Amino acid sequence: MMLLVWVFFGLGISPVQDTVSLAPVEVYAPAVDRFAQGQKVISFEKRELQAYASRSIGDLLQEKSPVFVRQYGAGMLASLSFRGTSAGHTAVFWNGLPISSPSLGQSDLSVLPVAAVDQVQLQFGSAGALYGNEAIGGSLHLSSQTDFKKGFKGGFSQAFGSFGLSNSIFSGGFSSQKISLRSRLYRQFSRNDFLYQDLSLPGTPENRQDHAQVEQRGFVQDFAWNLNFSSQIKASVWYHEADREIQPVMGSKTQDQQKDASIRAVVDYFRFGKKSVLNLKTGWVRDQLIFNTSKNETSQFLLASDWDIQATKDWTFKLGARASFIEGDLSTYSATDRRIEGYQSAKWTPNSAVAWSFNLRQVFFSEKIIPFLPSFGLDWQFLEKGNQQFLLKASGGKGFKIPTLNDRFWEPGGNPDLLPEESISAELGIHWTRKGDINLESQVTYYLMQVDNWIIWMPKGSIWSPENIREVRNQGIEWEGKASWKTGAWGWKTGLSYTFSEALDQTTDSQNPRQLPYTPKHQANGTLEVSKSKVALELNSSFVGSRTIGTGESRSMNPFQVWNARLSYSNLSWGKVNFPLSFQILNLFNQDYQVLYLRAMPGRSYQINFTIQI
Amino acid sequence: MTNYFKKQIWALAVLLIAFSCQDNGGEKPQGRYDSGVYIMNEGNLGTNDGEVYHYNPGLRALTGGIFEFENKRPFAGLLEDMVLEEGRLYLVANTGKIEIVEPGNFRSLGAVTGDLDQPRSLATARGKLFISDYGPYDPSFATPDSYIAIVDGLDGGTVKKKIPVSNKPEDLFVSGKNVFVAGSEEGKIEIIDAETEALVKTLEVSGSPVQFFEQRGDLWVYSYDDSKVYFQSFHLDNLTKKEFRELPIAQATSRIALGEDDRIYILTSSGWPDYKDGIAVVSIYDTTLIPSWKTGSGFYGIGYDQERREIYVANAKGFQGNGEVIIYQKDGKEIGKLGVGRGPSGFLFR
Repeated sequence: MMLLVWVFFGLGISPVQDTVSLAPVEVYAPAVDRFAQGQKVISFEKRELQAYASRSIGDLLQEKSPVFVRQYGAGMLASLSFRGTSAGHTAVFWNGLPISSPSLGQSDLSVLPVAAVDQVQLQFGSAGALYGNEAIGGSLHLSSQTDFKKGFKGGFSQAFGSFGLSNSIFSGGFSSQKISLRSRLYRQFSRNDFLYQDLSLPGTPENRQDHAQVEQRGFVQDFAWNLNFSSQIKASVWYHEADREIQPVMGSKTQDQQKDASIRAVVDYFRFGKKSVLNLKTGWVRDQLIFNTSKNETSQFLLASDWDIQATKDWTFKLGARASFIEGDLSTYSATDRRIEGYQSAKWTPNSAVAWSFNLRQVFFSEKIIPFLPSFGLDWQFLEKGNQQFLLKASGGKGFKIPTLNDRFWEPGGNPDLLPEESISAELGIHWTRKGDINLESQVTYYLMQVDNWIIWMPKGSIWSPENIREVRNQGIEWEGKASWKTGAWGWKTGLSYTFSEALDQTTDSQNPRQLPYTPKHQANGTLEVSKSKVALELNSSFVGSRTIGTGESRSMNPFQVWNARLSYSNLSWGKVNFPLSFQILNLFNQDYQVLYLRAMPGRSYQINFTIQI
Repeated sequence: MTNYFKKQIWALAVLLIAFSCQDNGGEKPQGRYDSGVYIMNEGNLGTNDGEVYHYNPGLRALTGGIFEFENKRPFAGLLEDMVLEEGRLYLVANTGKIEIVEPGNFRSLGAVTGDLDQPRSLATARGKLFISDYGPYDPSFATPDSYIAIVDGLDGGTVKKKIPVSNKPEDLFVSGKNVFVAGSEEGKIEIIDAETEALVKTLEVSGSPVQFFEQRGDLWVYSYDDSKVYFQSFHLDNLTKKEFRELPIAQATSRIALGEDDRIYILTSSGWPDYKDGIAVVSIYDTTLIPSWKTGSGFYGIGYDQERREIYVANAKGFQGNGEVIIYQKDGKEIGKLGVGRGPSGFLFR
């Protein structure tokens, strides 16, 4: 079937007219959204990432994106929830390599520092055809971005802050026309001994958190080599380790310790044809998690190849295959898994205003077949009037998630008969941009999604075991607006977003379906930035609405809103050396809040950041 | 879970004292929660959302989260046991604290918050609190350092002494100056002298002893293993074993309730992987033996309302959200359903 479709689209190839030569003057990276027409994709700007350099991807997404991050305390486990789906319903990639733990089936965003990556992108909606396993609610794409011909570059950045925070980042690199090398080393430490009101004790006294110290260290090495005019090799290695005292839930005196260590390596070979790019990819991810004395290790090895071709002026295709080998050596079991996937994408651009995409994927795992996964999308710029543009985005697709190793093999309780979780989603959005004295941008998206065979661990006497029991219907509206303008020497920028997200559990009570636990219906973010020459002041705020802590008629937690402020000055320099400075206040109004029930979060804190850039 | 009948006896005692005190202190006004049913909701592991619900069967009025409502702070613990003694309600959190409230209005009277690990139950004797505690887990999740913690005074405070006992002590029962401890893991009944605060005697029993109760004037302990349930009574004068019963009820759990006519209701569970729950009915004094009086899934607690002759069965519903309580008549007919808190696990009838 897959082949047939490919042949069918292939028949449309006509003699090539234009060349889309991809000369390797830059380190090549296939665009995440190349075949994601009609889907919402958010990319963070470089300066936004710089402002979060001493924080985690979890903090960045909680404060700056419409997704909900479930934070189990300061510096503790942070998992992503897209459009009312669970933490395991998000595919996470680093340089195109899936990095979610195959045993847990999710990624902890608190151990992914912003400092280790150059690009962060979020894609919304079920996209199993494009991104494979776990892309049910959406996907997160992290990547390195390196250049050729830039000579020597280096930098050192040091942040000090409240609660014993000390974060250091060193980076150095060299690039010529032929070769590009870059190294990054970082260490992030916090005693995390913040004051909080202990609600579990009579009189709710203010106590100091004494078991939440976090230390994280790592390095990233990026390498790229132009073998000749038409081929390039790119490689990255990322080692990260985290040593954490696990912050107890209020009322408990647990003294748990967790050590995470991950090594991720990826090598890409690109061969650039006249109108095509051939990519051979191999990658390896090894995760180790030691919780107290229990040790869990997993390895994933990936081999992939795809061929991206501009067949005609109007048609672009991609054809690929991927094989993954997974090995788990967990505290209670050992298991292996193999997955083979074939996929193809087609993009049709009949004119400059319209782009259609069609994607398909077929997955085999452990002698099982995932039902054929399609997706389609449309970008249609239906109106262009003066300095204004209106773009319609429509897409639909399926997603899936293979049960994790723990779901299938955990002793006791693992259920080898679990079916993959499945989803189908559709969205419709309008994107408006206006250029002028005031630049405006507004995007509104409506989505609808159904997730079936959702896996939940249920108690079976004293043993817990997973089952495909939950069925959820999600729908929502997401709106983002941006504006930028100038008043004299002052530059202004503002961004606002609001998300309404309904995720109704059809399982517990189908007559009266309730919102899923820890899924706020309302969420909003806002940013205001004002700058004059080299001084900038930024104020941002994020609001999270009420959410229940369990299914059905459960306890509801209060909404919260947290404000941050940041002042930066980038005019200090000595010769070619720059010394940007910044000062941040987090939780400006000292809001007492919890993201998850009884998990204390810090009040107001301060950070000062010095950087040397060569 | 401790034996609720012991508590009912105490409640009766409190009531008697209250009546007899009428002349001196004036009648104490009836508190909002002084009659009805306390429903214990254990809460979810890692969430610490244990709470007490109150149900007034006469008015059919259910009030949720009464600890938080009356004290303006969450209970913030896993609620393991409720013990009504000495005019105080002791709420035992196995996350490491005891909250003491006034039973009528649920306002906090005190607490034991330090120096406990995994408290399971509590008893009062000679003006002191005796708290059974598993002690900390060792790296292999065993509890080799279980103890009985002693606190001077009935309104909480600091732990002054810990008496080591066999692994995993559960229920406690006080007779005179003797504190009986159900040592569940090693099948031991340990007896502590409340005055000298020393272990005075250890008796071996069959199965895993978890619950003391009084029937026909005797002190009994209920214990169980995979295939049978056992009842052992004691001579309270010389602290020796008296009578023994062994009944073929398989897959029993620690949860029981005492009904009328000496009937004992026992929750059973097939456990992993089929997980079928049930309620068995037995008697120590006659031949009653009904292995499956009720069957279902998710049963997590049971209680018997002596006054209204009703059986309350708690269903934890997989701990995914709030649980449910189903009320049956003595003849097994369902007469009501209550949506309660997370992990409902026991009842206290007043």
